[in-house]
Amino acid sequence: MKEALEAALGVPVLDAVQLAGGASKEAWAVDTADGRELLVRRAGGGVIHEGTLSLRDEFEVLVSAREAGVKVPEPVAYLGEVEGREAFVMELVHGETIGRRIVKSPPALLSLEMADELAKIHSIAVERVPVLRDADPFEVFYAELDSVEEAHPPIELGLRWARERIPLERPRVVSHGDFRLGNLVVNASGLVAVLDWEFSHVSDPAEDVAWPIVRAWRFGRDELRLGGIGEVEPYLDRYAELTGRLIPLDELYAWEVFGNCKWAIGALRQGRRHLRGEDRSVEFAILGRLAAEMEYEILDLIDRAA
Amino acid sequence: MTDRPNARELATAVREFLETEILPALSDQRLRFRTLVAMNALSIVERESPEPSPPDPVDAELARRIRAGDVRGDDLETLRQRVREKLLLASPGYLDRYTDES
Repeated sequence: MKEALEAALGVPVLDAVQLAGGASKEAWAVDTADGRELLVRRAGGGVIHEGTLSLRDEFEVLVSAREAGVKVPEPVAYLGEVEGREAFVMELVHGETIGRRIVKSPPALLSLEMADELAKIHSIAVERVPVLRDADPFEVFYAELDSVEEAHPPIELGLRWARERIPLERPRVVSHGDFRLGNLVVNASGLVAVLDWEFSHVSDPAEDVAWPIVRAWRFGRDELRLGGIGEVEPYLDRYAELTGRLIPLDELYAWEVFGNCKWAIGALRQGRRHLRGEDRSVEFAILGRLAAEMEYEILDLIDRAA
Repeated sequence: MTDRPNARELATAVREFLETEILPALSDQRLRFRTLVAMNALSIVERESPEPSPPDPVDAELARRIRAGDVRGDDLETLRQRVREKLLLASPGYLDRYTDES
């Protein structure tokens, strides 16, 4: 791998270490002879969702985000194929990404910084990134649910309940698609960078705003609805102040139900990646069973709203 | 009634993990031997556990009806009971996260 990286980067590589984590992409920390610390992001086997961006397209989105002032690692170059899989290289950013650790002592302003970054992401001109898919989110996720080939009535109820309460009338924006703890680099002074743009697409901005509220992304601190780090209202107010977009709490709640449907379906599809032999892994296999957690949450949310 | 992978398929996944990721990383002869024994034990679990059951007709009918827009008053409670049963096997500790909430 070191030789392949040297050829792709055009500089001698002192060290290349594969990092842990990443459900469908590899990450390599690379030290070059000219003193740079880089991160090479390389395709893995298989993807979670239909419409997942290629590395080439994800690199384009990263460049656009950087131009819009979003805190992202500096994109360096798209590398084409490295040992048979496409890859790109960006600056290596230091900080914490593990959700369970961040929720233990989150930086004071993290909630507001999350709103700041979302506001910047949603200001990227849609025409700037024509590769992004602009589709009805319900059609997309009904199709993904059908691809699982297993009946899941709680998810059906969640999708129907959310669809009846989500107007989908806001002007559509470039969205990150997986904006939550786990994909944010955080240090003691706050948010350092937004990572993992592979699910970026064009959508109602509320879809991104509601995603870090989903219970699975509170990393055990269920009482703090925004990602286990804070209350929702200040975050929502900050986002409204910066963008002029008002998202009523009851609509946000419907998007939260939809978000749980998305993650339930994502988990089931990870289970299928294993069962169908696309990517054999205990980690993916067990997600097929843990989708029931999101189903329970969907039903609880609907019950509480009544 | 459980979702997939069922017990048999999970045992297969763990056995494959031991074989492809753990065994090659072990140099200690004693641990290598014990890992091979553990794989053998899992293969017994695999043979002894049932094949995944065919799709549950109750779930299939509920899913079809709800997708068609016919949601009935007792659906929520029926579904909650069914999901609770799945979680008692797959993740019983998760249910505790709801007990202190009203």
